[in-house]
Amino acid sequence: MFDQLLKRLLQGEFICEVSDETGFRYLQDPENAAQVDTFLTRLDYRLSSTQNQLAFYAAYRTIDSGARSDIRKIFQQFRVELQPVVEWLDMMMSCLNQDTALSPGDTLSFSSLLQVIEQNQAMADRLQTFAKFKDFTSGDDSVKGRLEKLLGTLHKWGYLALANRDTLIYQVTGKLDYFYQALQFIQEHEQIPIEQGETDAIQESLF
Amino acid sequence: MSQSQQGLERLFKALANHSELIAQAYFNGVVYKDSQNQRALTQLKQLKVLVNHDADGYRVTGRLGQFIDSALSSDRVRRLDTDLASWIDTLEQQIGLYQDALNENRTADCDNYSAEIERLVFDLSDTLEENTRYLLMLVNSRFANVRTLAEKQKQNAFYISRLEKLVNAISSLQPEFLLEMVEEQPVIYALLDQQLIRLLPIYQQRLQDILDKLKIFLFELRQIEVRAQLVQGFAFFLQQNQNYQPQDWSERDNIPEHWNQIKPLALFAYADPLDHALEEDLIEIAQKIRIDTEVMLAKQKQRSLNAVTLSPQEKQTLDLPLYRKQLRVYFERVLKNEGQSISAVAFQQAFVNDIEPSIWLSCVLNEWLRKQQRNKRLQMDLIQTDVGQRFSGNKKVTDIVLKSRGAEG
Repeated sequence: MFDQLLKRLLQGEFICEVSDETGFRYLQDPENAAQVDTFLTRLDYRLSSTQNQLAFYAAYRTIDSGARSDIRKIFQQFRVELQPVVEWLDMMMSCLNQDTALSPGDTLSFSSLLQVIEQNQAMADRLQTFAKFKDFTSGDDSVKGRLEKLLGTLHKWGYLALANRDTLIYQVTGKLDYFYQALQFIQEHEQIPIEQGETDAIQESLF
Repeated sequence: MSQSQQGLERLFKALANHSELIAQAYFNGVVYKDSQNQRALTQLKQLKVLVNHDADGYRVTGRLGQFIDSALSSDRVRRLDTDLASWIDTLEQQIGLYQDALNENRTADCDNYSAEIERLVFDLSDTLEENTRYLLMLVNSRFANVRTLAEKQKQNAFYISRLEKLVNAISSLQPEFLLEMVEEQPVIYALLDQQLIRLLPIYQQRLQDILDKLKIFLFELRQIEVRAQLVQGFAFFLQQNQNYQPQDWSERDNIPEHWNQIKPLALFAYADPLDHALEEDLIEIAQKIRIDTEVMLAKQKQRSLNAVTLSPQEKQTLDLPLYRKQLRVYFERVLKNEGQSISAVAFQQAFVNDIEPSIWLSCVLNEWLRKQQRNKRLQMDLIQTDVGQRFSGNKKVTDIVLKSRGAEG
């Protein structure tokens, strides 16, 4: 358990209840977490977790120039992911007809999503807009092909895990907790206006 | 057939005959009296299947409603019976009646009271078991039975308040005195001890766990609400500002904690030669490989299969065909004797014996065509015969005369 877990942490993976339930439970035990942290310390790393303790990951203990260079790369990747992930979360709220955003542990059924999107032209158009993002360009122009690409890329980025390979049931991972944390930070520190005024909402609905 | 068996049969028949009315009362909450169903409703009320809802309406009795909920695994909000104290009171009362009957040697009554006590204990046990299981299901599914956030929050708050009452009720119960009451009746003592007294702390702990989970979920629900606003607001902002990029927070002196993640240590079976960062390392490795290879080569035996011999191969000189030698002599003679016409047939008759005249002429013609590309001084005249098929387009050549023109010519 210990060695497998460490390898995954060193490969930059988020350990959550969805991606590795046993590993996650192991790290929830403070004694085990301390052991892992001690080992990571020898590499000048440490064990860190998301704001709601829904996922564990390895972080730098000392931020020197080398660490800073690596963190810069992580941040650049976040920049790449920001727009498509926000758009995906917003689209899922509409698709699932929910007033709640996806949370770690939630499930998404490929066939159910496909059915909803195929029966709703506005959703199909929205799915098509993902093609503007480099990682979501699909060779297959069908709704099925685009949806496969969307969920496939989010799976590759670690926001989704394939819970059932046969029925294509995806599960949202703990990495989303990190994404929300980063999103909230940006919103607060860059003063992004997230309250849509009534006028804006009306204007939008008219289009 | 005994009287109670007859009563049970009458009850089942009534349930079967009036199933539509019962279903209507269960699903709609009430069924109203009219000219056609009045008699059936009265019968169902007598059998305690239905009770009065209002002046003209009837509803399904609480117990039957709970039974149907359970049988259909209904998502209806179940009633948690928090009135445990009154349940214990009833039990205490039944034990008193049982002891009176026992003291007065009323055996039949004793059996009836004993059965009633048993039923009460099992009812209480079943209710707690069912409710805790149902609550666990609700909590684990995060109230998946309702869709909207507001409904989830409402259900969460409702169950928290009911659970708090239930946990408090179990905590305040002092059912040990019941055991003291039945010390001399070992069967009832064992029943109470095993099915109630020992289980109550377990249920209390289980309910407390569920309550804790509900409180955490209530907190999460508040976060979910904030997240939903955040996602929708950000999505709207990004639609309005397509070229937006967040500030480079990785360049700040204090990098926010959530971006402090290690670069994945990827393990590959080979190094990427295009990665310039690896250049020096690769050079170092390559240098080591060269040294190692020399050492290894020194130890290796020479493999005969791959050996290459450098001995010179035997050269074979091929003679020119005779006709080519004769052609060369003929053309040398023509070139040597500038301005002199030399007949190919005459040359053949004089010096070439092995070749037919017609083949010789073809060879001369071919050689002239080849040579005249390089030597424009070679002039050729074809000597033709008139004999031949007219209008066939073919010419019959009897001789070729070559002449080498002078440099000025």
